[in-house]
Amino acid sequence: MAAVAVKYPAFQEIGAEILTISVDTPATHQDWQERELSRMVPGGARYPMLSDPEGKIGSQYGVYDPDKKVDLRGQFIIDPEGILQALEVLGIPVGRDVSELLRELRAFRQHRQTGELIPCGWQPGKPTLPEEEEAKKIAGRIWEVWKPKNAF
Amino acid sequence: MAVQIGKLAPDFSAEAYHQGSTKTIRLADYRGQWVVLFFYPADFTYV
Repeated sequence: MAAVAVKYPAFQEIGAEILTISVDTPATHQDWQERELSRMVPGGARYPMLSDPEGKIGSQYGVYDPDKKVDLRGQFIIDPEGILQALEVLGIPVGRDVSELLRELRAFRQHRQTGELIPCGWQPGKPTLPEEEEAKKIAGRIWEVWKPKNAF
Repeated sequence: MAVQIGKLAPDFSAEAYHQGSTKTIRLADYRGQWVVLFFYPADFTYV
């Protein structure tokens, strides 16, 4: 989670708020913030750290493991209307990629602002595809305007 | 999976630690801005 704390300014720049959620109590979050996070990252975690002691929220989102009694590593992008736009859940041993999550957030925002479709591997500055009605006209000829190397 | 892409994200409220104090946070209060939820197994772990 320290990686999320490091990247918090990038989320703020996009206009996104972060809520982190685990089964720990607010007091444990505070302890972690004061003893470790604030030493690893300037200001530590500056977003709300939520407590989900019985896994109720985790169960709503399908990430609560009732055997281990923890919320699995899950991330969910919710748009300004409250609609879920992306989700990823990882098994316990593997950490997430915060840069990829930021890319997805920027891509959804780009689509929302312009209507453009966002191709595979898009990054800010790379070509997009026209909005849906226009895109239909070039179906079968996408290869003329978009090359696979653009995905990497 | 209890949630679906393109559907309303389930609302919830919970106690939270935030910048030195404990407060109640409700997802619906963030309507109008992008929100990212990060679930994780436990504090004091670094994966």
